[in-house]
Amino acid sequence: MSSGYKPDILWSPHHADRYVICDTELSLYRIGPAGSSETKAGALPLSEETAATLLAINSDTPYMKCVAWYPKHEPECLLAVGQANGRVVLTSLGQSHNSKCKELVGKEFVPKHARQCNTLAWNPVDSNWLAAGLDKHRADFSVLIWDISSKFSPEAVPAEKVRLSGDVDSGLVVTKPLYELGQNDACLSLCWLPRDHQKLLLAGMHRNLAIFDLRNTSQKTFVNTKAIQGVTVDPHFQDRVASFFEGQVAIWDLRKFEKPVFTLTEQPKPLTKVAWCPTRMGLLATLTRDSNIIRLYDMQHTPMPFGDEVEPTIIERSVQPCSESIISSFAWHPSAQNRMVVVSPNRVMNDFTVFERISLAWSSTTALMWACGRHLYECAEDAGQGVAATEKDIATKMRERAQSHYGHDTVQVWRNHVLAGGDDPQLRSLWYTLHYILHCSQYTENVEQKQQSNKQSLIYSGIKNIVKSSSGTTETRRCWSGSDRQTDVPRYHSEERSLALQLCGWIGRGPDIDVEPFLKSLEQEGEWERAAAVALFNLDIRRAIQILNKGASAEKGDLNLNVVAMALSGYTDEKNSLWREMCSSLRLQLKKPYLCIMFAFLTSEPGAYDAVLYESRVAVRDRVAFACMFLNDAQLPRYIDKLTNEMKEAGNLEGILLTGLTKDGVDLMESYVDRTGDVQTASFCMLKGSPGEVLKDPRVQCWIENYRNLLDAWRFWHKRAEFDIHRSKLDPSSKPLPQVFVSCNFCGKSISYSCSAMPHQGRGFSQYGVSGSPTKSKVTSCPGCRKPLPRCALCLMNMGTPVSSCPGTGKANEKADLTRDKKLAQFNNWFTWCHNCRHGGHAGHMLSWFRDHSECPVSACTCKCMQLDTTGNLVPSDSV
Amino acid sequence: MFVARSIAADHKDLIHDVSYDFHGRRMATCSSDQSMKVWDKGGNAEWNCTASWKTHSGSVWRVTWAHPEFGQVLASCSFDRTAIVWEEIVGESNDKQRGQSHWIKRTTLVDSRTSVTDVKFAPKHMGLMLTTCSADGVVRIYEAPDVMNLSQWSLQHEISSKLSCSCISWNPSSSRAHAPMIAVGSDDSNVTYGGKVQIYEYNEVTRKYAKAETLMTVTDAVHDIAFAPNLGRSFHVLAIATKDVRIFKLVPLRKDSSSSAPTKFEVQVLAQFDSHNSQVWRVSWNITSTLLASSGDDGCVRLWKANYMDNWKCTGILKGDGSPVSGQPGATNLCKNVPNKQLLHSKHTKT
Repeated sequence: MSSGYKPDILWSPHHADRYVICDTELSLYRIGPAGSSETKAGALPLSEETAATLLAINSDTPYMKCVAWYPKHEPECLLAVGQANGRVVLTSLGQSHNSKCKELVGKEFVPKHARQCNTLAWNPVDSNWLAAGLDKHRADFSVLIWDISSKFSPEAVPAEKVRLSGDVDSGLVVTKPLYELGQNDACLSLCWLPRDHQKLLLAGMHRNLAIFDLRNTSQKTFVNTKAIQGVTVDPHFQDRVASFFEGQVAIWDLRKFEKPVFTLTEQPKPLTKVAWCPTRMGLLATLTRDSNIIRLYDMQHTPMPFGDEVEPTIIERSVQPCSESIISSFAWHPSAQNRMVVVSPNRVMNDFTVFERISLAWSSTTALMWACGRHLYECAEDAGQGVAATEKDIATKMRERAQSHYGHDTVQVWRNHVLAGGDDPQLRSLWYTLHYILHCSQYTENVEQKQQSNKQSLIYSGIKNIVKSSSGTTETRRCWSGSDRQTDVPRYHSEERSLALQLCGWIGRGPDIDVEPFLKSLEQEGEWERAAAVALFNLDIRRAIQILNKGASAEKGDLNLNVVAMALSGYTDEKNSLWREMCSSLRLQLKKPYLCIMFAFLTSEPGAYDAVLYESRVAVRDRVAFACMFLNDAQLPRYIDKLTNEMKEAGNLEGILLTGLTKDGVDLMESYVDRTGDVQTASFCMLKGSPGEVLKDPRVQCWIENYRNLLDAWRFWHKRAEFDIHRSKLDPSSKPLPQVFVSCNFCGKSISYSCSAMPHQGRGFSQYGVSGSPTKSKVTSCPGCRKPLPRCALCLMNMGTPVSSCPGTGKANEKADLTRDKKLAQFNNWFTWCHNCRHGGHAGHMLSWFRDHSECPVSACTCKCMQLDTTGNLVPSDSV
Repeated sequence: MFVARSIAADHKDLIHDVSYDFHGRRMATCSSDQSMKVWDKGGNAEWNCTASWKTHSGSVWRVTWAHPEFGQVLASCSFDRTAIVWEEIVGESNDKQRGQSHWIKRTTLVDSRTSVTDVKFAPKHMGLMLTTCSADGVVRIYEAPDVMNLSQWSLQHEISSKLSCSCISWNPSSSRAHAPMIAVGSDDSNVTYGGKVQIYEYNEVTRKYAKAETLMTVTDAVHDIAFAPNLGRSFHVLAIATKDVRIFKLVPLRKDSSSSAPTKFEVQVLAQFDSHNSQVWRVSWNITSTLLASSGDDGCVRLWKANYMDNWKCTGILKGDGSPVSGQPGATNLCKNVPNKQLLHSKHTKT
């Protein structure tokens, strides 16, 4: 294959699955789905889905310069080839048995003077006409229009003909063209005008584009321009023509031919091909030399006619069909939308679809909408059970948790982790911590009221601060229960340390330091290893063994626990015993962390418990409790500080035990929120804090605002209101002031001034005034001046009169509706009015009126009160 | 798991933008057919087109909703060099068609001399403010001083970015610790012009927007840009659609409150994905900024999600026509491995 000859590609006008690659020879390919039975083993993959099969090769016509495919159905594979010497040869690909085809194939059209043939074009209507554009040869014509049906011409030169086709029939050479145009000129490109098949657009060397009419070849319209290459008519808009010169494309309107309508932004390299998309209006593809990019210009809604001051809209984009490799040529698929095949200089082909650009948006409820072309697609998260909890997005989790009243259990605070789904160990730890904090603080509140303020704040300030304030630590050496030997394990006691143990949940509140209730509850939950470890750390080896035995015999129990118990029972404190040696080496192989730390504890030197303290699989709670028992006053704060920083860094909620609800705790929560976005947990957690302290932190306020905003966006308005109520209990400053006052028409005083003194529930409605004073007997008149209040537009009774019953026009089921819910019956008494027309009445009456009407019930008032507020018409999504 | 379904949009030309309102119950679309449509979600979760009208005299590039506390307000921008503010009105025409709403033009912003390429409302805590950017590189910030009168908008700020602008995004953070901030992307494809994403910050002292940061590593044309919903986080996350999907993390460095210099940021690349294998066209965050959707010239929509370690990966691929990508039967829930792991956490700090 000759180098420097770049393959071009040509699509069959009638077979959507066939195209020709031409370089030095013509190769016909069929495109089909990859891997199907139709495509043979030798098929070339074009894309993931398609492959091309080589059907035929024709190498009869050397020195090809241009090729044009016969536009009619029959004969199907007829091509005209323009050669370097100006000859045009008809040839075919594949075995066509059509007699007409046989008659035509091999036919040659020879110009008087040999020069390069630049371009060929079949007349779209009279398909016998073939226009050929040639280089200049002195004063000769450069455009020859041949009639392929014309017969033998005597001037033919047999010698040349024989060499080219091997066909000796001299009847196949034609030398007399039908028309000759463009004298003393060259033709670089030409095309027939589809609007009038007698007209031809020529682009010549003399820097002009000219339109010739074959009916009167002396007449032509022409325009001077440099853009004389590759003239091509938009198939969807037949007055629009593109042509190019070097890097610039000019778009012409044949109706206003004086100058280009516009030119496209210039490319740095010369263009090689420009083609209109046959399947879409106004889409032009351009290719520059040695480039891997095809540039597309979408001239979709060009204002017509052109030329006014309005610039046309052009959306420019570029595509890279085969990533980095250079494109030699491309061809649009004739029928498949936006599809093309590109070919590289070394004949690698690629099937490629130019996709529409997709715009997309997420809704607040995690639905994704996108627009592709003219179509819209909505993609909703499938709330199926197949999704594992850990896979769920935090937005979904927060929505589910909000609906299960997560955070609202203020009595059994630990239960909130169950409301959250109960599958997150960090949340579990967090809510237990908060539970113990609240319990301890309630206890101290009741018992030791004198030092309340001091100790109260200490409880909230976390174990880190508690152990720092520790003083008066005593050291005891206790016996192993169930063993008469004296141990040398020092254990430390102080008031603060017991408080810390309480917060860890190991011991109950109050003066006694009995760990037994905790062990019982662990046993109940089946946490055998953990219970055994806690028993062991309380130096009760017998109890630990007992727990392990129980665990082994329990339902679904692990029999290995018996083995562990056995190992445990062999405990000896002799330094060099075999037991010790084996335990310290084998414990590393234990998979269960609590079993592992049990043996670590037994084999450690007193005070050197790193194997227990830094076993990260063990809950922070248990490690801290352990540290509080066995680390001395120097070691303990150091360990706790280290652990606290670790927790803060990681945003691990278990660390709230250490930081408490202090600034440290907010720091920790900040990194948790940074990591997860879970403002819900952050808000609820901080609301449990001791009043006013952490809540003033701007970060906490920010989380709360963000959470409320989320609930609003999800239309969880009831949840938001409940959250606000919950919040105002702990943070009274967040309570909104009364929003609406109704003032008397006569004296201007608020008609509800008498009730405002009473404690009334924060009703946060902006549209409805509240008349209901709990002690009211009769509020049909202004409490200030005793003038009557306005009348309800429907029942014409003064406001404040209790609603008698439903209006008579009401339907039967409506009545049932209203009486069913007594809470609603009270609501029916409320004042309500339209803020636009200022007419109103009893809420119940207005509601039932607007169920059937859209306009205000007051005569001659056309206000569409109920439709004014779009948000008001939305239904909260959390009301069941 | 995501399952897509098609909605008959009935636009006569390419749809350029879709936008949900605050509650996700209304949607607006705009198109090259110069029209806009408003869709309302019915009780049966079907979308009904409740308004369709011709808006501009050119392709409409973008449409966006104001926060509902300002009313039912839309803004659109177009090739015709204008941006328009629309408001829904009720009840003035005599109920000619039930279920149809009426949108009227409240104002036309004509300051741009070139195509207006993006329009965005500022976060609601800043009041009713509207921003546009245009192909001549100017970002304009308008304010409606009276929220009851949407026909009055005053041009408050004009920022010249010196590069053809294609997209803008407000930092949605309402935290008082964060000054108002806007990111501007440019679709200029000349890589020698440097960073294509500029971040401007409002300065309380000078009462002007000043450039706080230029993302110098983004040198290719930027098609879309989106700040993640902040949700109380201490840093900002910015997604960028350029020749690939990029996620940047901007950590504000502490500054002394007295200085009037813009905030400095530590800029980290959280993720960079070239799996679209082509230009990326749009990016969009979900409400908690834990999911990112992107679309590219490969005709696919991809979903990205971060795990607890801030490692982002693809959790779904859908074709533009809603069909699953071959090799992934049924719903797409397949994870493709991140090819450029080494890029994760590649920190670079700029001053």
